[in-house]
Amino acid sequence: MTNFLAVTWGWSEMIWCTVISIALVFCVLILLVFVMMLFGVIFAQKPERKLAKVAEKPISDEQLHEEQIAAITAALKLYKSALHDRESEVLTIQSLKRAYSPWNSKIHGLTQLPDRK
Amino acid sequence: MLNLLQSNFALESLEKFVSKMGFVAFFSEMGWGNLVMILIAFFLLYLAIKKEYEPMLMMTIAFGMLLTNLPGAGLFHEELFAGGHVHWDAFTSHEGVAPGLLDYLYLGVKLGIYPCLIFVGVGAMTDFGPLIANPKSFLLGAAAQTGIFLTFIAAYAMGFTPEQAGSIGIIGGADGPTAIFLTAKLAPELLGPIAVAAYSYMALVPVIQPPIMRALTTKKERQIKMSTLRQVSKKERILFPIIIASIISLLLPDAAPLIGCLMLGNLMKECGVVDRLSKTVQNELMNIVVIFLGLTVGATATANTFLSPATIKIMVMGVVAFGVASACGVLFAKLMNCFLKEGNKINPLIGSAGVSAVPMAARVSQKVGQEENPSNFLLMHAMGPNVAGVVGSAVAAGLLLSFLG
Repeated sequence: MTNFLAVTWGWSEMIWCTVISIALVFCVLILLVFVMMLFGVIFAQKPERKLAKVAEKPISDEQLHEEQIAAITAALKLYKSALHDRESEVLTIQSLKRAYSPWNSKIHGLTQLPDRK
Repeated sequence: MLNLLQSNFALESLEKFVSKMGFVAFFSEMGWGNLVMILIAFFLLYLAIKKEYEPMLMMTIAFGMLLTNLPGAGLFHEELFAGGHVHWDAFTSHEGVAPGLLDYLYLGVKLGIYPCLIFVGVGAMTDFGPLIANPKSFLLGAAAQTGIFLTFIAAYAMGFTPEQAGSIGIIGGADGPTAIFLTAKLAPELLGPIAVAAYSYMALVPVIQPPIMRALTTKKERQIKMSTLRQVSKKERILFPIIIASIISLLLPDAAPLIGCLMLGNLMKECGVVDRLSKTVQNELMNIVVIFLGLTVGATATANTFLSPATIKIMVMGVVAFGVASACGVLFAKLMNCFLKEGNKINPLIGSAGVSAVPMAARVSQKVGQEENPSNFLLMHAMGPNVAGVVGSAVAAGLLLSFLG
């Protein structure tokens, strides 16, 4: 096979190229690790901080306590589950009336006995 | 009537027809080579259809190989791309070789268009969430790229030129489009064997990786459970492709086509305002380009280039590249564990996913991990190094291109 773009490198160039390349791949990706960690600091912690702030806030007398909310929710749940759907109380019987046809005729379906006179 | 019978016209026509038949060419010099290549194409078609080895590309590559080796069909002409350059004059002049269909389609590979378009689709299908949530995964992606450079040295030792060695080494990145992109630029004469090796070994990831993973880890290490990844916000997902494309392109301009396209596709997916474009690049565009890429890469596998000892060496070096890359990932994960606190330790099995092969390599990590501990779910943790490997192999390709191109 012929090569068209030959670079005239010896062993020393090859080894240097390998070492530098491995080092550069690591450097570039380590840089990305730090960039992404910075991302995490900027974006991911905000909601946590917000939650922490909310948690730290003292509960005023006007506000409902967690246990009160739970009790109200449970009561509502019991009340709702005790309710029945109101039905219409109208019974309807669907009438099935088939028109006569020789195909559904009972008499034609029976074995005809010979008429002995 | 007598004149009609005496005329040689019918005989001459038949003779001309027979001489033009492809079957006759099999008996000419190097005709056996075409026959062998056709048999290899049949074998690859069998692997693609029956065994489902990367069928999307393997099937089209094998069919391209079949078409290019049919004597007389004239679908592909190596001489139009001789010397590693496109001979544009031959495409426009009416003298000499008439370009075939695959010659025109091959321009997309030669000019580096198809691999980049595939990367747009890959980007649109990739979820970088696990990588954003755990940026340390980038290190595992970097470690797996060591396999590329060690194979680069090994290939040089086997007698390949530095450009050819770089193209062979990139097989270890387990990233087909990157391998094709780099080889088309550095060693176009090896494109066929390298593409076949890259896609064959990508399909063989579940066979190649597990023994290496088990050999390099202890049972206890394989049972390590990792903590759940944090939620990634939409803002982070949108900013990630923009920032990564900017940083890498500024640091390594040679990697800009691949990384730029990968991140463009990802931004289309994450921004949520161009759903139509995102769906198009994931499906229609991707599928069309896969057809063109596979056919034309297969077409470069002519008897002249493929049937040589170099192909066997490439196949051997390819599997070495894959194995070394996987091993480097696992060993680096073990090294990282030496510096991590108890409870934050990572399961070394996810290190092997640092080779790209998305998502196959991550699935292998999950499978091997569950063999040791059925309640251990490593898939999402392994997806981090896996997508970092895509970025890492594009960076490695950019470096090789800047040194050797």
